[in-house]
Amino acid sequence: MTEQIKKETRKIGLKDIPVAVVSPLKKAQSGLSALASLAKGMRLTFSYFRRPSKIVTQQYPENRATLKFPPRYRAMLKLIYEDNGYHRCTACGLCDKACPNGSIKVITRKGATTGRVELDRYIWRLDSCVMCNACVQACPFDALEMGHEFENAVYDRRLLVFNLNRYAGPPASVMLKAEESLRPAMTEKRDRYGGPVPLNGAQIPVVKPLTIQEGDL
Amino acid sequence: MTAIVRTLDEILIAPAHPGRGATQEYFLNMGPQHPIAHGSLRVILLLDGETIRKVIPVPGYVHRGIEKMCEHLNYRQIIHLTDRMDYLSALMNNWAVARTVEKAAGIEINDRIESIRTIMAELQRIQSHALWWGVLGMDLGAFTAFLYSFRDREIIGEIFEETIGARLTMNYIQPGGVMYDITPDFTAKVKKVLAYMKRMVEEYDTLLSGNVILQERLRGVGILSEKRAVSLGCTGPVLRAAGLAYDLRKVEPYGAYEKAQFDVVVGTTGDCWDRYYVRIEEMRQSIRIIEQLIDDIPAGPTMVTKFNTKIKLPVGRYYNHVETARGVLGVFIYSDGGDKPYRLHFRSPSFNNMWAITKIAPGWRIADMIAIQSSLDLVIPDIDR
Repeated sequence: MTEQIKKETRKIGLKDIPVAVVSPLKKAQSGLSALASLAKGMRLTFSYFRRPSKIVTQQYPENRATLKFPPRYRAMLKLIYEDNGYHRCTACGLCDKACPNGSIKVITRKGATTGRVELDRYIWRLDSCVMCNACVQACPFDALEMGHEFENAVYDRRLLVFNLNRYAGPPASVMLKAEESLRPAMTEKRDRYGGPVPLNGAQIPVVKPLTIQEGDL
Repeated sequence: MTAIVRTLDEILIAPAHPGRGATQEYFLNMGPQHPIAHGSLRVILLLDGETIRKVIPVPGYVHRGIEKMCEHLNYRQIIHLTDRMDYLSALMNNWAVARTVEKAAGIEINDRIESIRTIMAELQRIQSHALWWGVLGMDLGAFTAFLYSFRDREIIGEIFEETIGARLTMNYIQPGGVMYDITPDFTAKVKKVLAYMKRMVEEYDTLLSGNVILQERLRGVGILSEKRAVSLGCTGPVLRAAGLAYDLRKVEPYGAYEKAQFDVVVGTTGDCWDRYYVRIEEMRQSIRIIEQLIDDIPAGPTMVTKFNTKIKLPVGRYYNHVETARGVLGVFIYSDGGDKPYRLHFRSPSFNNMWAITKIAPGWRIADMIAIQSSLDLVIPDIDR
């Protein structure tokens, strides 16, 4: 093995100096060649200067409309909604378990008409999420995906904890089996900051409930 | 054998005043916030005028307790923490943990996964070395190099973004496979990038390597002998520049490295210039490796375990290592039979490489210290973990 490594070893030495003329040890002769080595680099810089088509700078905030993201790009987590407006989450809680830092909390409830466990609130903490994709990988129903919105700056970190689901209720597969007239009764509207998220309740550790106190504004 | 542990207060005794006419030594903090530390590394220098007499590195400013956090996470969840150690070789870090777990749990990996992992790791090695090249230029006052390297880094980053979805903290190589299969146009795109990078490595040579100022600042500066590098536990380009052809990809081939022909690049003198040129040459070798593997990626599944099944390691101790862009990253797992490690230790390359400055910097000036520290290519979160 060592013999083979010896054979496949490449020693770098004097021959590898890219500019053969430069020899720092012989300073007396190398004055001009030293200047030449500097000029060589400058020539490259100016060759780019003369070719503006090679410039790669993106005019970021201005080019928002034309920004392209690859489909796998990982940013804001979201529930996938089908065309009929129903999500696929069965509230099994596998994403909750897979999350390495407890960024996801799935709160379940017992369905009023079905009597089965269903999603009440899907709480996601953007402030501690590391976009590791474990929740998406863990989900057996393809109910989750990583969205492409990446501009998440807010003035209050409590705003970074919120509900992902638009309604509390069973997933699309159950909803579509039910009669259309019964469907509205099975669901309940949920908004981004309603329920046990920091703007209202105090069920998530560390984050305190948001009540406007003196000095907050 | 007993080891004497001294606190910083005991080490930093103010040097006595030597009396009239003589110079007095003094302490100077370089860091924790210093542009060349690329993170928070505090280095205390004992100086005589501008000459360095002693170097005392004080790591720990970015310590996040990753090893302890690992004890509370299962083997799949650990992977995402390793992204945050040596963030420039995140995929290789992922691979180190994944390989250790796979070997311990007896998970068989197919050739497709090994090939994809190798290609991705080598792409990242190019990216990491390219970034290092630019940053070294910036440290020594050549800011143009930094912009050039970031331009090229971006192009490899786009491949990662498309295949993995992230650029830096990827969490891609997991126990049992890789997160996503490669995209259909992956091969064509990588080939395009390789052709581009080949030209760019030449451009790096034109722009910086031949520059007389850079050569004057790197040649013969901070010589690390082979014997000393071994005794300090240096690995990676730092060790190879000192003259020892030790590369895990060659010594203990893993992944698909056995299928590829490549050279181990070694230096002759172990000075900053050798450390510089070993990395430039390694970029070329990485391009060579990918070129050989990219055309025939074997068929097969890219994940051989189900994501939601628990991985349990039998009781015992397991160690495995990979060659990252900075050297040998070892992962030691002590398992008590559960799905979480009882204890997990990382042998990170930057930590050992860092101690080289204590031996090679004394005697040189502060300006040379910049070149020496930059040529070691330290990533501070990897030192502290």
